[in-house]
Amino acid sequence: MTRKFAFALAPWIFTGPALLFAVVFLYLPVVFSVGLSVTDWNFIRPEANFVGLENYRRIFADPNFRDALINTLIYCVVLIPAQILVPLGLAVLLIRVRQGTVANGYKIALFLPTILAYSTAGIAWLWLFDPLNGFFNTALGWVGLPPQRWHTDPDLALWCVTIVAFWKNFGLNMLLFLAALVSIPKPILEAAALDGARPFWRFLTIELPLISPTFFFVAVTTTMGVLDDIVGAIDVLTGGGPYGQSSNILHYMYQRGLQFFQFGQASAAAVLIILLILAVTWLQFRMFEHRVHYES
Amino acid sequence: MVHAVLVLAAVLSVFPLFWMTTTAFTPNELVLRKTFRFWPDEPSLANFRTAFAGYPVAAWLWNSILIATLVTVGKLAIAVPAGFAFAHLRFRGREAAFWTIVATMTFPTIIGIVPLYVGISMVGWFDTRAGVIVPSIAYIGFYVFFMRQSFRTLPREMFEAARMDAAGPFRQLLQIAIPNVLPSIASLSVISFMGAWNIYLWALLVLDSPEKRTLAVGLKAFTSIDDHQPMWGPMMAVALLSALPVLLIFAFAQRFVMAAFTGRVGE
Repeated sequence: MTRKFAFALAPWIFTGPALLFAVVFLYLPVVFSVGLSVTDWNFIRPEANFVGLENYRRIFADPNFRDALINTLIYCVVLIPAQILVPLGLAVLLIRVRQGTVANGYKIALFLPTILAYSTAGIAWLWLFDPLNGFFNTALGWVGLPPQRWHTDPDLALWCVTIVAFWKNFGLNMLLFLAALVSIPKPILEAAALDGARPFWRFLTIELPLISPTFFFVAVTTTMGVLDDIVGAIDVLTGGGPYGQSSNILHYMYQRGLQFFQFGQASAAAVLIILLILAVTWLQFRMFEHRVHYES
Repeated sequence: MVHAVLVLAAVLSVFPLFWMTTTAFTPNELVLRKTFRFWPDEPSLANFRTAFAGYPVAAWLWNSILIATLVTVGKLAIAVPAGFAFAHLRFRGREAAFWTIVATMTFPTIIGIVPLYVGISMVGWFDTRAGVIVPSIAYIGFYVFFMRQSFRTLPREMFEAARMDAAGPFRQLLQIAIPNVLPSIASLSVISFMGAWNIYLWALLVLDSPEKRTLAVGLKAFTSIDDHQPMWGPMMAVALLSALPVLLIFAFAQRFVMAAFTGRVGE
């Protein structure tokens, strides 16, 4: 009797805490965000009034939000292809190197940035970018070029964030592609080589389709990362500035909510971000899913 | 040619870290005098002394260790039994519960940050370690998924035999299942510790008192001093200190780290 009882209860004891944590700390905040987005509630005024879509109207009228949207688009257009193609290229080169200490050395060197904190990474780069004493301006001096203001220059700030975000994330994708490429059965590649196909053509027609599940996974996670992870780089390097020129929509939301304490507008931004992510994810699944070859 | 490209990429990849290390061991006066050396003529620990004397760096270090450890313990204590249940127990609502948890992998980490911040303040967890630790445990989507895959590699007969021996679900988990997936648990511990060590934005919001901060957050204190002379040397010393544990873990547990990051179960 007790054992039967244990088996009936065990699933919920085992999975209950996980469910509870996910619901309380991840789902509920999202639900609350939807609620907050139609009120004018904040810390200072305890009573909440329903204001309809006023918060949405306000953020759309906010030039900073428009800048953040445009920046988000630029980050996506530049970083998503870069963070997929460069790591793929590096992985393809790496499998051509004989396994051993040298190959492992490359792998470690290329993966190191991925494991660092954004604050550590950001600070290492702040020091390189530093207009007064930094390495980059000194190096520019060596070749006779004028110094730059890097992350403090409204025109360059976004590109500084892009570089750091790229540096911080390419290693993981490289590792994923490498793992996929290594798992391709040798006979398939040997047969292709016997056919006399050129290496690049062979890569496009044989290896790429075989690693397409990984490619799809990397595409989805990279898109998410470009929205999400980059906030750390933005915060440490530029704080979204100068003049909001390097902010993205998540950083905008964070700033509205927890630096300016405009909870309603921040929540409206959060809701828009969720809708955007749902749309993009749906689109990616529609576009890629049927082209992905899964092994049976 | 292949090597030329890879060497170039590796050098570019490591350079910011290398430069950070060089600066950390160069006295700050020399750093600010732009006497560029790729390695200091006389390496010195002066920057570390300045940092430890001027800021509660030792407390930051301790807080980082404590928070990273507790988040890791919490995540595993929750994710391992859940993964086991999803792999080997049959119950109503199993798929729904599983996907409810795993779907959180697609949530941007800071999407609920405003209500979460309000909630933490309301329960009195503002400026406490619990305020950082407890919500951070909740990101277990990947962990539950990874553990389910790991437990699935164990044959069903293993548990049927145990049932014959009158082993209940708790004994099955503790005595049969867990000992057979230790590499997976090691992988998750390592990436959890590294991830928690690096928690930045949330810890920056919740931890207010200087001595309660973690290294990742404390670092930021150096960047916001505008009136003094720039503290690049001590700043790099603390940055190096904050990077060191994850670098060491990576050096010694590379196999587990790579297995976890690439989602390969049981390696």
